[in-house]
Amino acid sequence: MSFLLRYCLAGLFVFPSLLAQPSVGTIAGSVADSATGLPLAGANVVLRGTVLGTATNASGEFRLNRVPSGVYSVVVSMVGYQRVIVSDIVVIDTGVQSIRVALHPMMIQMEQVVVTASRREQSLQDVPVSVSTVTAEMIAARNHITLDDALRYVPGVNLMQDQVNIRGSSGYSRGVGSRVLLLLDGLPFLTGDTGEINWEVIPVHEVERVEVVKGAGSALYGSSALGGVINVLTRDASDAPRIRARVFSGLYDQPRFAEWEWSRQSRFNSGVMVSYSDKTGPLGYLMSVARTVDEGYRQNDAYHRWSVYTKLKYDLSSSQSLTVSGNLLQRIHGNFFWWRNLREATRPADDQLNGRVESVRGNIGFSYREFVSDRFFYSMKGIYFGNSWDDYTGTRRNYFSRSDLVSLEFQGTYEFPPRHILTFGAAGNYDRVNANLFGAHPGIGGAAYVQDEVELLERLKGTVGLRFDWQKVSALPSTSEIHPKVGVVYSLDSETRIRASYGSGFRYPSISEIYIESPKNISQVPILPNPALLVEKSSSMEVGASSTLGSSIAVDAAVFSSSFTNLIEPGVAFNDANEPYIRFDNVTKARIQGMELSVNIEWWKRLFSTNLGYTYIWPRDLTQQTMLQFRPQHIFYSSATISLGHLRLSTDVRYVSRIERIDENLVRFAPIPQGDERVPINVIDVRASYDAVELGVPLRVGLNVNNVANYHYVELIGNLAPVRTYFLILEGIF
Amino acid sequence: MRILLALGCTVLVLSCEPGLSPPPNVEPGFGGTVYFERSTWPPADSLNNLWIFASQVYPLDSVKIFAGLFSTPPTIFLYPGFTASLPFFVDSLSYAFNLPAATYQYVGVLQQFREEISVRSLKVVGVHGAGTNPSQPLEVRVDDFQFIHGVNIHVNFHKLPPQPF
Repeated sequence: MSFLLRYCLAGLFVFPSLLAQPSVGTIAGSVADSATGLPLAGANVVLRGTVLGTATNASGEFRLNRVPSGVYSVVVSMVGYQRVIVSDIVVIDTGVQSIRVALHPMMIQMEQVVVTASRREQSLQDVPVSVSTVTAEMIAARNHITLDDALRYVPGVNLMQDQVNIRGSSGYSRGVGSRVLLLLDGLPFLTGDTGEINWEVIPVHEVERVEVVKGAGSALYGSSALGGVINVLTRDASDAPRIRARVFSGLYDQPRFAEWEWSRQSRFNSGVMVSYSDKTGPLGYLMSVARTVDEGYRQNDAYHRWSVYTKLKYDLSSSQSLTVSGNLLQRIHGNFFWWRNLREATRPADDQLNGRVESVRGNIGFSYREFVSDRFFYSMKGIYFGNSWDDYTGTRRNYFSRSDLVSLEFQGTYEFPPRHILTFGAAGNYDRVNANLFGAHPGIGGAAYVQDEVELLERLKGTVGLRFDWQKVSALPSTSEIHPKVGVVYSLDSETRIRASYGSGFRYPSISEIYIESPKNISQVPILPNPALLVEKSSSMEVGASSTLGSSIAVDAAVFSSSFTNLIEPGVAFNDANEPYIRFDNVTKARIQGMELSVNIEWWKRLFSTNLGYTYIWPRDLTQQTMLQFRPQHIFYSSATISLGHLRLSTDVRYVSRIERIDENLVRFAPIPQGDERVPINVIDVRASYDAVELGVPLRVGLNVNNVANYHYVELIGNLAPVRTYFLILEGIF
Repeated sequence: MRILLALGCTVLVLSCEPGLSPPPNVEPGFGGTVYFERSTWPPADSLNNLWIFASQVYPLDSVKIFAGLFSTPPTIFLYPGFTASLPFFVDSLSYAFNLPAATYQYVGVLQQFREEISVRSLKVVGVHGAGTNPSQPLEVRVDDFQFIHGVNIHVNFHKLPPQPF
């Protein structure tokens, strides 16, 4: 059966290159820590100029098969270690070339490789903008069930329920029109109807890394990158058969106050995920199934979710690879828009009691990469993202939406010796929406971009980029945009980098913002369309520096300033009969300035590590000369980890200052009783995990207590955040 | 060690701080003082009733007034009640008006100057917030479990505010 499955999967890819049988050899070897001599598991080993790569196993060993005869460079990297390049490795027909690599420990963030800032792999040290990363290990350790939970611990990022805010860019726009662009493996992943981020559709258990680029990024990525870009990179298949199973069960504690105890029963949040991964010859594949059931700490806030994910990667040759991936999610979720009142903060208003949303969402994508030479490679990518949801009260369907979004992209990267790296590409998208709230509308767009990275001096690197975008929505006139970016990085010495950048951003209004029309929405106030909406625009500047002090302290500091014009916000106005109505309008001109500081310290030979992140934001509404709505001024995160052999003890502290200004009209017209009640966010999580994998037992056990102080707060007005929750997590890797 | 101690202290301090908490179970409403301008009181035979009114609707006309008073649920409320009256010939009086949580766009004092009950027998003699903009009264938003103080009204029987009908 296994053979048949492998045969069928391999048969999906029939290319002429398969017929060719060049002479091939093998590169094998081991990777160890230079300080301790211990083998390193999980180190990445990549053959430069090819699509061939692998990771070391538990014994620190690796093997690259099917390497065509030739002379190669091998790049070995791992988070926390200095990258090593081993050159002039000669591979001859059927021969095995052995190498041994010793990696030198480094401060974690200095040696990370990122792909989002310049659309190609580069060291974090060479990036002219602020970039933060979230690794798969962080996601697993904190037991994040959706990806937005993971972003709550990134410096400069805060979430308003599920709406992400990078350095104050977004605020809260009632679930439509994200001002942060989400990419899935490099391709736009916003919903076609509301232009928002849907976190649940991201296969969080299969995420390899998340990169958060702060500041406007439309010069490379187009619409919606006003405040920043979040790129979710999924993991590839493993080289050897591997089954990964993860089970968790969470128990919600009771709130501190008897008034908020709405159920006498214990409420659980549980899930199971199983994945299988293997590589057969040139074909690597990964399949996973996940089931999550959350009974909710609030009334009518439960959900049931199924998701299936698969990823196939076929190495057509040493220089060509084709990846196909797909994800399907089905969910039923109760409707809890806001509390009944603050005395009954865990119960929704009566008209929401029988509400629920049923959704089916899915995507399928491909990526073809080819290294034409050592200096030139290109990729072609495409994704289809379908969304379907229905909003019910009891058995009556109130609203529905169906949207389809297709994105295609070509990108080439050419290295002009000795000083230039040119990145260029073209992209296109088509989306179609059919919804009773938004009507039936198509949209189409295209773009072209170019970027040159140049070594201006021995220690000075510069980047210049430009992107042209064109879009047409339904019967409206087409619009076009041109956006530039400029950046420099200066290496003061081997440990200190100074960076400066300027970039601009824009966002086309989503179909929902333009066309939404409802005689009476949930707040009994009619919503009117506005086909005259203009494009939102932003420009952002940043100056920053990063440095390592000794071998155990890393500091990154940045000051930033962003300006926004034509910000689209839903506003309440009155008609001639003095009756209120809601409409999206270009109303706000704003400026956000601030600074950010990150300090990572490793103590006592990495026995103890601490990460601190502080962001100060000064968000001004220049139209009304007030603070911008829904933006905090202070965001502080810290985490500490003690590693005692296989036992790890960790804690996270999260502080977000009280939101100074909210949308009073939302509180008034929804209405949300006591909707203006809010406090600073002070959340402490603690966790312990024991990893027995290296003892020969394929099991990791974790105990997490989230919000250990059972502190009560809101991120979004009228929505009590989760109470203290206890999680038991079991993860097995076979 | 110091960092561990600092973290421990942070946890301890935050453990004592609950954050949001449910408000006390207070009957919603608003209250304040009605000030009557001295020597402007009208003759006793034109004082049939005197009420404080609170209307969720503004502006009003005769149809909206009766609909607001007698619809279910009502949108216009009278204090101390339809069959009772505020005292006459006083300099000031304090009041506490309990009513459903809502936004009241028009709050003031209403005089019934004839015995018959009709719009023609009523006039508004004072409005909350009339000092700022006579044509645009100040609204009073009452949330659940909230009693708002300081909703004061000035009445001058010789200088009436704009009439809504």
